[in-house]
Amino acid sequence: MRESTLMQLQYATGAAALVLVGLHLLMQGVLVPYGEAVSFQRVLSVYKSGVDAGLLEILLVVVLAHGFNGLRVILLEWRQGGAWTRGVNWGLLAATLVAVAYGTRTVVLAVTGQAS
Amino acid sequence: MAELNLRVRRFDPSVDRGPRIQEYTVPAHDGMTVLDALIYAKDRVDHSLAVRFSCRMASCGSCGMKINGRPRLACESQVSQLGTDLTVEPMDNFPIVRDLVVDLDGFFEKHSMVAPHLSRKNDGREQEAPSGEYLVTPEQLDSFVQFTYCIKCGLCNSSCPTGSTDASFLGPQALTQAYRYVADPRDEAGEERIDLVDETHGIWRCHFAGTCSAVCPKGVDPALGIQLMKRHVMAARSPFRRRKKAGTKLFPNPNGELLKGP
Repeated sequence: MRESTLMQLQYATGAAALVLVGLHLLMQGVLVPYGEAVSFQRVLSVYKSGVDAGLLEILLVVVLAHGFNGLRVILLEWRQGGAWTRGVNWGLLAATLVAVAYGTRTVVLAVTGQAS
Repeated sequence: MAELNLRVRRFDPSVDRGPRIQEYTVPAHDGMTVLDALIYAKDRVDHSLAVRFSCRMASCGSCGMKINGRPRLACESQVSQLGTDLTVEPMDNFPIVRDLVVDLDGFFEKHSMVAPHLSRKNDGREQEAPSGEYLVTPEQLDSFVQFTYCIKCGLCNSSCPTGSTDASFLGPQALTQAYRYVADPRDEAGEERIDLVDETHGIWRCHFAGTCSAVCPKGVDPALGIQLMKRHVMAARSPFRRRKKAGTKLFPNPNGELLKGP
C-alpha cells in the first residue's frame, strides 16, 4: 500500500474519530445527565441499543486504525532498515486486527446481554 | 567590543574518543562575522582548526554551522548581533568529518535523487538543438520561484527533528526541490518525482515543525514547499483527479538562428 494511501487513511480516521467522539459525548454527557450516563446499568443498556453499539464499533475500528498507524509512523522514524520496516508493518497490522477482534467481542457480548 | 570568547566544539573521529570544547580569544572589530573570527583563530592561534568556507557572501552555502545553538551561515552572522560569547558547533544530523566540517555526501545524494533539473519527455531533439523557448507566465513563476533560491547549505536538514531520528528521511531540502520542479510548467517528470517522495521515508515523515523555514538563510520556506508537495501527491493519487498540470508549449524564437545547436 502506498504511503499516501495510508496517510489518507490516517487523516480520514482522525477526522472520523473527532466526529464520533463528539457525537458520543453529546449522546452520553449532554442529552443525559452525566451522573446517570456513566452508571453501570445505563452503560449496559446503551450497548444493547443497535445504533449505539454500531457507533461504538465504528469508533473502535477508527481509533485503533488511527492509533496503530500513528505508532507505525513513530517506529519507522525511530529505526530504519528493511527488516525493521517489514516487521513493524506486519506486526502492527496483526496487532490492529487482534485489538479490533477483542473489542468487537466485547461489543457483541454487551449487545447480546452476555456481559451482564 | 574588544575581545570575543569563541568556544568551538572540536572532534576528529580518527583520533578523538569524543568531542571537546576549545576556547579562543579573538579581537573583535566592526562588521566582523563569525567566519572572520574562525579564520582569525585558524590563521593566528591554531592551524589545526577545521572549517569549510568559500564565497564569504552567503552564496555558496559552505559555512553552515550551529552558532549559539542555532544553525546559521557563519559568513553572514554578525558578531555584533550575537554578543561576545560565541559557541560554534558543527551542524546536527550530519556525520562529522572534523571539527566544524560535516560530511554532505548523503545530503547531495538525496538532492540528486529527486532529479533536480527540468525534464521533457518527447522532445530530446529540442533540448539538443533548441528552436524556441518554453515560456513561463509571471503567475506560474510565482508558484515556485522562492524555491529556486536554495543554496544547498544544509541548514534546513540540520534543524529538522525528523532528520535527527530518521537518517533515511529525504529531508526538507530534497523534498522542496522536488516541489520546485513539479510546480514548474516546463517540467514533465512530475509523476516520477511523486512516486519517489511518496514512500516510507519520503514526504509524509514531515510533521511540519517548521524549523527548516526558520533557519533558511535565503528566506526559502521549505515547510511550505513540502505541504504544497503533499497536496500535489494527494491530488495525483485522488480517484477524482480532474485537472492536469497546465504545462507550457514551445514558442518559436524570433531570433531562431541564435538558439540553433551545433
